[in-house]
Amino acid sequence: MTRLRARAGRVLLYAAALALAAQAVLPLLWMLSTSLKPPREVFATPPTLIPGAPTLENFARLVSDTAFLTYFRNSVAVAGLTVLLTIVVGAAGAYSLTRFAFPGREAVAKLILCTYMFAPIMIVIPIYILARRLGLVDTHTALVLSYSSFCLPFALWLLRAFFQSIPVELEEAARVDGAGRPRAVLYVVAPLALPGLIATAIFTFTLAWNDYIFTRILIASDELKTLPVGVQDLFAAAVVDWGLVMAAGMLITIPALAFFMAVQRHLVAGWGSGGLKG
Amino acid sequence: MRRRLSEPALGILGILPALILIGALILYPVAYAVWLSLLDKHSFFPTERWVGLGNYLAIARDVEFWESLWRGVVYAASTTALQLGLGVAAALVLHRSFHGRAAVRALVLFPYMIPTIVAVIVWRWLLNETYGLVDDTLLRWRLIREPIVWLGVDHIMSSLVAMSVWQFTPFVIVTVLARLQTIPPELHEAARVDGAGGWARFRHITLPQIRAVLFVVILLRGIWMFTKFDTVWLWGEGAGAGREIKTLPIYAYMRTFTYYQAGFGAALAVIMFLMLMAATAVYFRLFWREESAA
Repeated sequence: MTRLRARAGRVLLYAAALALAAQAVLPLLWMLSTSLKPPREVFATPPTLIPGAPTLENFARLVSDTAFLTYFRNSVAVAGLTVLLTIVVGAAGAYSLTRFAFPGREAVAKLILCTYMFAPIMIVIPIYILARRLGLVDTHTALVLSYSSFCLPFALWLLRAFFQSIPVELEEAARVDGAGRPRAVLYVVAPLALPGLIATAIFTFTLAWNDYIFTRILIASDELKTLPVGVQDLFAAAVVDWGLVMAAGMLITIPALAFFMAVQRHLVAGWGSGGLKG
Repeated sequence: MRRRLSEPALGILGILPALILIGALILYPVAYAVWLSLLDKHSFFPTERWVGLGNYLAIARDVEFWESLWRGVVYAASTTALQLGLGVAAALVLHRSFHGRAAVRALVLFPYMIPTIVAVIVWRWLLNETYGLVDDTLLRWRLIREPIVWLGVDHIMSSLVAMSVWQFTPFVIVTVLARLQTIPPELHEAARVDGAGGWARFRHITLPQIRAVLFVVILLRGIWMFTKFDTVWLWGEGAGAGREIKTLPIYAYMRTFTYYQAGFGAALAVIMFLMLMAATAVYFRLFWREESAA
């Protein structure tokens, strides 16, 4: 009797695990399937789960008929610069917070946590008006600066935790041996903080790569748009070309998921310290 | 000899760029929003007029505001509750040991990692009333007689809630799962020896242990769902029934960028922020306990 119950429990457990995986992945597989179908098959009833005649036609049209490649380049440039700026400024700030005693250090740390409360919709309206005044509307500079500021509070918080876990003695030992502070930081601290730096890079990249609202509001020219806004414009056409839209969806998703899969282990470490928002 | 900077000077120098960016692009905009909310200002033209609390008085009498506030509360409360229930259940499943657990743990995070625009287009395609997989399947299984218009007036809020829960539940799963892994297994062993059933063990061992995490998760998810813009906006775009899901963030955006009333829009954003602050304070009063700090 108990063995029967235990076996029923196992079956239920596997069924639940399967359901969890299926709900997460099936919608994305359906996107993949549609993106590989020729236009006629996209609207076939009943729908075919596996494309009868798989083709890359939708992807070819996406590249040749739309500005998709331009959006892609813009997204890569904006996300890349955001990561760079956030890492440099965030690492310098977090290092200072952990290694130097200065007045107001604790207040700064608390202030950073408070900025966590502000949602994009609350600051994007004033940012837009300020950017107009500074002539920064419709530039990638405005996007990179906005994303970096938005990522900085959690970048500082996360990196601070990593720097705190690295014993100061290691650095001091290197300096006793004749290395200056810059070299000690570069060769002793940076390698040890690498998981933290990677986690920060991923969070920042994902935020900049996925963001919709800042681009929608700050960018007007088509040739400066990033992927989410560019693809929404494809989708907003009078008759939606679903094959094309799904192909675009696939191409935006792949870099996001690839980054995520590559650094999953670091991600969980960062997640624990409250590194994700959205 | 080179002059050496003192330790405090170096420290301030290091944190300064971060403070400048945060100050200029987060704190200053928030302060500026408060100032804007006291003006009647056009979003594009440099015309502005001091109106004091005029915008706030107008908002108090504005039917659209109360409607969008109510919709926003319904959306935030229902999505947060569902994410919490489903997320904790999923975390308990993923905490058990089974073959392929690592893979499933990674896969369930996908909906949270993909861009919102992708989540939205995928679900709008799945729920398409003419060619969508969902209606087609329901029809074929004879669960419904006619296709359900998911993005029509009657169902757009429920479909938005369902889609949002799909997108954001992984956050709850991961956070709770991380905490579950730190509960000493001996606690469960001891309870099992004492004859406690599954529900009793959850109620008296697991739940008290994850209480502090749930406190934070509910707070964060509630705040983020109440201020959610992109998911809601993209779900309603071009759907005709979009005004049925006009929550407070959408309303603030529309006032600023459709009616060009930057002052009015900023006042809405400030009200949203004040309400969040008040709700957070009440929440802390009601549910914060000393052990939550752990």
